[in-house]
Amino acid sequence: MTDNDAWRALSHHNISTVTRKKNCKVSGSHVSYLENEVRSSLKLQRTLVQTLPDGSLQATPKELLYEFCTKLKPSKLGIMQVGWGGNNGSTVTAGIVANREGICWETCKGMEEPNLFGSLSQHGTLRLGITSDGTDVFVPFKSLLPLVEPKDIVLGGWDISSYNLAEAMDRAQILEPDLKRKLRPLLESMKPLPGIFDEEFIAKNQLPRADNVIQTKNKAQQVEIIRQDIRKFKQQHMLDFVVVIWTANSERYSVELSGVNDTAENLLNAISSNHKEVSPSTLYAVASILEGCPYVNGSPQNTLVPGCIQLAEENQVFIVGDDFKSGQTKMKSVLVDYLVGSGMKVESMVTYNHLGNNDMFQLTDGEMWKPKSAAKSRVIEDIVGSNGTLYKEDEMPDHVVVVRYVSSYGDSKSDVSEYVTRTFMNCPYRTVMYNNCLDSALCAPLIIDLAIFIELFHRVSYRTSDMKAFAPMHPVLSALSFYMKIPRTPVGEPHVNALQRQRACIENLFRALVGLNGEDNLFLETKFPYISE
Amino acid sequence: MFLQNFKVESPNVFYGQDHIESQYDYNTTEVVVSEGTAKAVPKSQTFYFKTKTRVPKLGLLLVGWGGNNGSTVTGGIIANREGISWRTKKGVQEPNYFGSITQSSTIRLGTCKGEDVYVPLKSLLPMVNPNDIEIGGWDINSADLASAMKRAQVFDYDLQRQLEPYMSKLKPMPSIYYEDFIAANQADRADNVIPGKDKKKHLEHIRSDIRKFKEEKKVDKVIVLWTANTERFAEVMAGVNDTAENLLKSIEESHPEIAPSTIFAVASILEGCAFINGSPQNTFVPGCIELAVEKKVFIGGDDFKSGQTKYKSMLVDYLVSSGLKPLSIASYNHLGNNDGKNLSSQRQFRSKEISKSNVVDDMVASNDILFKPGEHPDHIVVIKYVPAVGDSKRALDEYTSEIFMGGQNVIVSHNTCEDSLLAAPLIIDLVLMTELAQRIEYRTGTMTEYTCFHPVLSLLSFMLKAPMVPDGTPVVNALFKQKACIDNILRACLGLPPENDMRLEHKLHPGCLDKAFIDTEIQSVKRKGDSCNEQEHSELRV
Repeated sequence: MTDNDAWRALSHHNISTVTRKKNCKVSGSHVSYLENEVRSSLKLQRTLVQTLPDGSLQATPKELLYEFCTKLKPSKLGIMQVGWGGNNGSTVTAGIVANREGICWETCKGMEEPNLFGSLSQHGTLRLGITSDGTDVFVPFKSLLPLVEPKDIVLGGWDISSYNLAEAMDRAQILEPDLKRKLRPLLESMKPLPGIFDEEFIAKNQLPRADNVIQTKNKAQQVEIIRQDIRKFKQQHMLDFVVVIWTANSERYSVELSGVNDTAENLLNAISSNHKEVSPSTLYAVASILEGCPYVNGSPQNTLVPGCIQLAEENQVFIVGDDFKSGQTKMKSVLVDYLVGSGMKVESMVTYNHLGNNDMFQLTDGEMWKPKSAAKSRVIEDIVGSNGTLYKEDEMPDHVVVVRYVSSYGDSKSDVSEYVTRTFMNCPYRTVMYNNCLDSALCAPLIIDLAIFIELFHRVSYRTSDMKAFAPMHPVLSALSFYMKIPRTPVGEPHVNALQRQRACIENLFRALVGLNGEDNLFLETKFPYISE
Repeated sequence: MFLQNFKVESPNVFYGQDHIESQYDYNTTEVVVSEGTAKAVPKSQTFYFKTKTRVPKLGLLLVGWGGNNGSTVTGGIIANREGISWRTKKGVQEPNYFGSITQSSTIRLGTCKGEDVYVPLKSLLPMVNPNDIEIGGWDINSADLASAMKRAQVFDYDLQRQLEPYMSKLKPMPSIYYEDFIAANQADRADNVIPGKDKKKHLEHIRSDIRKFKEEKKVDKVIVLWTANTERFAEVMAGVNDTAENLLKSIEESHPEIAPSTIFAVASILEGCAFINGSPQNTFVPGCIELAVEKKVFIGGDDFKSGQTKYKSMLVDYLVSSGLKPLSIASYNHLGNNDGKNLSSQRQFRSKEISKSNVVDDMVASNDILFKPGEHPDHIVVIKYVPAVGDSKRALDEYTSEIFMGGQNVIVSHNTCEDSLLAAPLIIDLVLMTELAQRIEYRTGTMTEYTCFHPVLSLLSFMLKAPMVPDGTPVVNALFKQKACIDNILRACLGLPPENDMRLEHKLHPGCLDKAFIDTEIQSVKRKGDSCNEQEHSELRV
């Protein structure tokens, strides 16, 4: 008997329950389920803060009435991954196929069944409310609003290496041999399309892999080929909606030059004139946007140059960036939030990573490492900046991030971190942490979630009381910051890196779409019980 | 059982008025390889050791005296000598020499009625008492030792308070500063430097400093030890620093590739003072080693083995000798002292990286079953500067080893310690062992005169990351082997057999015990009678 079982035996309370029911419906005047859509209206509050002449602060609550309209029928979704044959790409594919076909596999511990653990859309729940006898009820995200089923997703993509997906899965050394054996016949027929290769942008050590590249060096033609690829993929599989996700190598930063990539127009011109500062990833992004397909940048480089963002805004196509937040940075954005949120002063954070996959192999090149380093180091800015009683202005903890290539690790990533915090009376509080996981096993569910949530947000439109017609969400999809190391936000929206705040954003957005107020964790009704006289 | 003092009673040892003489049979195994088979031939050679028992008054000159190591070793010796205890939040703390193998380690002497008897290492042969060492030194920063101690943030406040009156009187002599050799971020510390650019004059200056110190403090001998910043590697160039002659000539010409540490080393050697290099750079360029060999002056190096590397040289030895195959070693360090700051510069870090990375080579090479020729574990070493942690150095290591049938064993360790508190006892050990080695002479049966150890003092390997050894000697990094070397050399000087840990006496059937031992005794008497002539024996006893 574990301690848990002992506690359960003693407890008479039903603290919470999770419903596995497929759908839950909200009733009430501000939500209506129509045949094809659900409409909700909600007063959303925000607090405006002003500094008064005497230096004091004034907070004014402001209310705005929002109407949301969400189409109920999920589209037929396709994901095209750039770097399909990489560890992430092959793991996502193997995972989706294994789940779809219900493939179980033998391990030393017995039979394992496929699942999608790590995915918020499939295994995340949110607190719906409370029953009359005081039991919290949790429901899966997907029971509030219909989402695409992962098994229905069609996969495709590009890679500079010609390995088919079965070979790529072997090279990745992630999945168990018995599973690979069973998947092989299903994956062998999947072959990545030739990718754009520009040795200027990725490390020299990737050259031996590049045997499946688009022949032309002309960037306008390359964009054209990618656009055709997307169209063909859509046609061939009869898809309504395709999301393009960059899960390939980190590129070096491209230099942001005025007249080259600062506006949409200049960017398109620069592509026509084959300018050398337009990176392959930007070409993919431009092609996707022009095809009306959302683009996710899962690596740290600045694919989304200002011109690219402008292009997405003009075409009303979703973009999400940058860099998947899967491992150490995710943990850090929880831990530092917890420490600073508890009123403790983090003095130093030293985080060391080592891994042996191809992503890391290419990061051994200094130019490629710069974007990664920047992505990792900015993650605590907002959290530290939030507490002026601990930190003076511009004071930051010492922060060191080291990532090293150790070939014998393969895809398994080790992360050793030390946090030194000052607590009461400046007493030191030291936290040392060791994480070990397969890099791609952390990343694959994020890729699936991103596509599924983007497809949902694509079905959402809104209007405020001042607007006549319904409009789609802002093209820079900051609602998915949860998945990103350096979240891209629309101009004017502050960056939020704290993980729990990012998750609360997705959760409350789901609630708003079905006319429920945001989760406030107040439980006012029991703290200030209503007593009838 | 633990004893402080003892005397060896044996025909192999003779206690004279001012020296101990011993006779020692050194057994080795020569391997003859021919046509794929190997023949092992036991060999025995008789050594005669003569150790002077009069302990001299010892002076120690530290380069980088005002650094964290310098101020910590000085404060520690003063606190021990004056018996200064101090309050901590856990109560009153007494001074000690923990971490020093000469002062705080013991070795098994033998058995007494079946019980093991241990004695302090320092009781084997007379050694300098660290409390009696006269300390001085140089530093490029003018802070007196009290301010240096404060800056180091190593000792508790109450100890600092009591040490201050002693330490504030100690002031480092101006040192040599060539900005090309240490990190640019050290420039603002350099306010106590010997003026001029003439390297020959600098050399003379240091030599006269050593002579003056010797006279003023009335010490019998001086040992010079580098505990200053890590320098960048000096380029070894033909005609510049490849021979003793060229090196002296290059100093005369103020050649740019002559590092400050090499000037200190040359000055010490020319003054007949042993020089120990506690940092990883190649102070001992070939010309410098040649000079030491010519002048018969001891040199020891490189780089104190105090923390992570020490631990590594123990752990990897354990893994490989247990038949496990280390696949990867990822070592991460961060610290916030001035050493860390200096190492944040790439060229200086390079020196450190080299000294740290070779440490497992000998252990890996020792096992061809696990490793194919040329195969190595993946090994990375990272050092980062994190001011917030100060002198408290962190080492986070992960070792992955392949075990039976492809299984994996992951070991993660986290070490925290004040860097200088680890290094200070090593400095004391290095100095004491070097001084002792200067009093030991040996000859073999075929030699007529006693002679001293080879000037490249590999005896000190235990304390050093990249041990320097005489040409043609294999480098040993495995920590326990290094310690066994020290133990057994000290035992040999007393005519005691090496510790072999066989404990045969406990493994024999009780009934055979007596007979077995009687047989051995007879045999050993016989062997002695055969191998050494009676005349030498009686000379030894006189």
